[in-house]
Amino acid sequence: MPLFYFQHDLTWLTNTAVWLKGPIERGLNLVMDMFVANFSWAFGAISWLLSWPLTELQGMLQWLPWSVTLVAFTLVGFAAAGCRLAIFTAASLFYMVATGYWQESMNTLALVGVAAPLAAGVGFGMGVLGYRSGVARRVLIICLDLMQTVPAFSYLVPLLLLFGFGPVVGLIASAIYACPPMVRNVMHGLASVPSALVESGEMSGATRWQSFWWVRVPAALPQIMVGVNQTIMATLSMVIIASVIGGFNDIGWEVLSTMRKAQFGQSLMSGMVIALMAMILDRISAGFASHVRSTVNTPTVSRSNALAASALLLLALFAASMLFPAMRQWPSEWRVYPAAQINDFLSYTVSRYGWVFAEIKQIVNFCILLPLKIGWLRLFDATGYTISPVNQAAYWVAVLCAMLLASFAWKGRGAVLVALVAAACFFGLTNIPWPVLFMVVGVAAWQAGGVGTAGFSLAGMSFILMTGLWGPAMLSLYLCAAAVALSFVVGGALGALAASNDRFSAFIRPVNDTLQTIPQFVYLIPVIFLFQVGDFSALIAIVAFSIVPMIRYTEHGIRSIDHEISEAAIGMGCSTLQKRFQIDLPIASPAIMLGLNQTIMYALSMLVIAALVGTRDLGQSVYIALTNADTGAALTTGFSIAIIGMVADRIIQAWAKKRQRQLGLQEIRSA
Amino acid sequence: MFSALRLSAVTIALSLVGTLAMPPAYGASIPETKEPIKLTLNEWTGQHVTTKIAGIILERMGYKVEYVTAGYLPQFTALSDGTADAALEIWLSNIGETWPKAKESGKVVEVGDLGLKAREGWLYPSYMKDICPGLPNWEALKSSACAQALATADTLPKGRILDYPPDWGSHSEAMIKGLDLQLQAVSAGSEGALVSELKAAAVKKTPIIAMFWSPHWLFNELDLEWVEMPKYEPACMDDPKWGPNPNEVGDCALPNSEIIKVAWSGMEKKWPAAYRFLQSYQMTDEEQIPMISAIDVNNLTLDEVAQAWVEKNKDTWQKWVDAAVK
Repeated sequence: MPLFYFQHDLTWLTNTAVWLKGPIERGLNLVMDMFVANFSWAFGAISWLLSWPLTELQGMLQWLPWSVTLVAFTLVGFAAAGCRLAIFTAASLFYMVATGYWQESMNTLALVGVAAPLAAGVGFGMGVLGYRSGVARRVLIICLDLMQTVPAFSYLVPLLLLFGFGPVVGLIASAIYACPPMVRNVMHGLASVPSALVESGEMSGATRWQSFWWVRVPAALPQIMVGVNQTIMATLSMVIIASVIGGFNDIGWEVLSTMRKAQFGQSLMSGMVIALMAMILDRISAGFASHVRSTVNTPTVSRSNALAASALLLLALFAASMLFPAMRQWPSEWRVYPAAQINDFLSYTVSRYGWVFAEIKQIVNFCILLPLKIGWLRLFDATGYTISPVNQAAYWVAVLCAMLLASFAWKGRGAVLVALVAAACFFGLTNIPWPVLFMVVGVAAWQAGGVGTAGFSLAGMSFILMTGLWGPAMLSLYLCAAAVALSFVVGGALGALAASNDRFSAFIRPVNDTLQTIPQFVYLIPVIFLFQVGDFSALIAIVAFSIVPMIRYTEHGIRSIDHEISEAAIGMGCSTLQKRFQIDLPIASPAIMLGLNQTIMYALSMLVIAALVGTRDLGQSVYIALTNADTGAALTTGFSIAIIGMVADRIIQAWAKKRQRQLGLQEIRSA
Repeated sequence: MFSALRLSAVTIALSLVGTLAMPPAYGASIPETKEPIKLTLNEWTGQHVTTKIAGIILERMGYKVEYVTAGYLPQFTALSDGTADAALEIWLSNIGETWPKAKESGKVVEVGDLGLKAREGWLYPSYMKDICPGLPNWEALKSSACAQALATADTLPKGRILDYPPDWGSHSEAMIKGLDLQLQAVSAGSEGALVSELKAAAVKKTPIIAMFWSPHWLFNELDLEWVEMPKYEPACMDDPKWGPNPNEVGDCALPNSEIIKVAWSGMEKKWPAAYRFLQSYQMTDEEQIPMISAIDVNNLTLDEVAQAWVEKNKDTWQKWVDAAVK
């Protein structure tokens, strides 16, 4: 590896020249200024139009007594999925009442109530467009990827400039993030309607318009409803952006200001409101979606009776709440608010078991994080030891042995993988010269998906290189790589356990739901309490979020293995372990790979939030650009994060498809 | 149908005060327009106190006041088009280019110094004096035992100083270089991160030194002390020979950070008297700090605390009002 030894003379390899930083950022700023100067009236009009339903809905939700809203949602929950959901809904809404967060919760609900239909409506339109025209579809797919991976913080300034200060900006940011799943599902749903169905419609004389709206759309409805469900969830996960701007007194404001004060109890309790709201809306929309799928219609007579009875009940409640003020507004003396106890518990844990966490941190730092970041070589330099050539040689001999072992187990590719990991740990990811990384990624992309994927990857990496963000991007890569690896191992194990143990599966599901939907700002405080500011805390914060899809997809992948295959394996005398490692995991591997793909996306989306712990990576660059009101820098940084995500996504998707074809399995679609 | 019953969130939360006290004692010219003056409420208690007191006095002058919750940085968008009219506590130490750019656009104007004297520098929980004997004198940090105690995996073999978030601008690196210490600055990512770590360290009694600022409510909760350094003088930044280290500039404490009031550029025309009042409005550390602790530690409401100040300091603010309505 002579390249590494000449590194001091070839600093341009890691310290890249910044050829395009100036022009690209200045150009973006210029375009933005022109845009604002000429079109802000149009955006102002949109902003005015959207603020109208928002204030109306907010006014209504604030005006309704809590008891009426609570029962109304419970009834909807019952209609969607029966008794259990009704109980869960009632309990969750009661939580919002009892903790004294009702007003803020309803404001957040109003935001979601406008943003989700907006995203679903626009998404449907774009989906139809993409279904109709191949060109539109190609452009859309790139746009959708960007919308999902460019962090909202990096287009906050332009949005503020265009739409003006106010909750509408948060609304639009959520809608931008939430509409892609709708578009994807609409395109997929419309395209996969059996042509025989459409033809039979045309034979009976339907016009194009009729055959689209009366045949194709109803047939695609189950898939479209999946899109609606995912859009609602995505809206909720982004709705906190509205609070970063302020002006709406929603629950996210409480989360953010308590996080700023490092009040864990308070931020957890307010964050739970968003998590519960997300779970309720998820289950309700999923429930209605499955009604559509089953197409079993309940007799209309009993349905209208039920509706009438519900309306009567709500009216009666409304009347009662006029008599009893406690049913209208929860008295503040009755507020249940154990935030102080939660804080005490955290302090107690830290004072009592702090040393355990410190030890864990130390081990991970020295064995995984630091080698990955700066490499063994420099790590030992920094601590004052020098590694003798003999030790270096011993390291590479060990690596060679591992490569041999790997090549027996997984053929040549395993050996290459081991060599890459070993090299990364020796020299450090952040010191890898960019031509080497270009080569490695280029070859991997070419192997997985051919020339197109390789070209896309190299073009994307060139953008990062030339905008001068290579340094922070490598730090991001290192953090994400460590987080993804940890999520992959731990999440995969938990997912496999959940697949074979129903009780554990039932336990882990609400945990996953909470981790996924609670505003991620909430984890930061306990993480810092336990592990202090540093890369390790950022890592844990990222893993807490990105482990979720890994658990879910692994469980799903293993559980959906054909019974015949498992039985055949048992019949042939496989032991449990043999079955797991030689049958289950390989067959579930495409699904697991899609889980890995999502894990990477989640990890990247956490970068900006993990930067609040204290990092120096792209996430932090976004904040620096935001503080300097530099639209151009914020956008190029955002694009760089998106590019890392899209390159990883393209390579893994291509690999998973190839693998599925090899295994002769049906295509599994990623969410 | 709901528009008649509509209550905006901000109004519900804050209408409790607004309407109670309004003696329009200052002639027909005030208020100049019936529209409410919109003051921004940011994310921290000290700023709430500053804003609320100004709001109450404005109400006594006869104005209608509305409080808009707004993020510290996003509020500048609101201030440039009059969606919000004034922000009363802008710390020049952590605003980056946002304020200079807004000022340059001419849409947001400076209303003057608020009067708070923000002290910034390194501080430590009092038990650190056992770990680094010699504190509060900065020379205690020179000892290798002290640096060793502060060292972590990220900074080995140097000691670790917890620094401001990178987007606020770091001063610690320059101070370490100026004072020639065996330390390394590690950036916290946010105020929440800084406070969390200080709190956790105090619980565990682990070594820590952090860049921080006053006034801040954390001083009410933890026993924090400043590292004493040579007092700031402009010469310290220009002349290497100045100060304890003859080879470097920057071997001294930080100067006090400026805290200013800003307003939408159209405010002066729209409410001239209110604008003049805001120009003379002042708040000192000695006044603000006890009010912050009354709210954050003793759980009084913002409203009670602000009203109490207004009642008690009538002489002070009456002068500002008289000057404004003249």
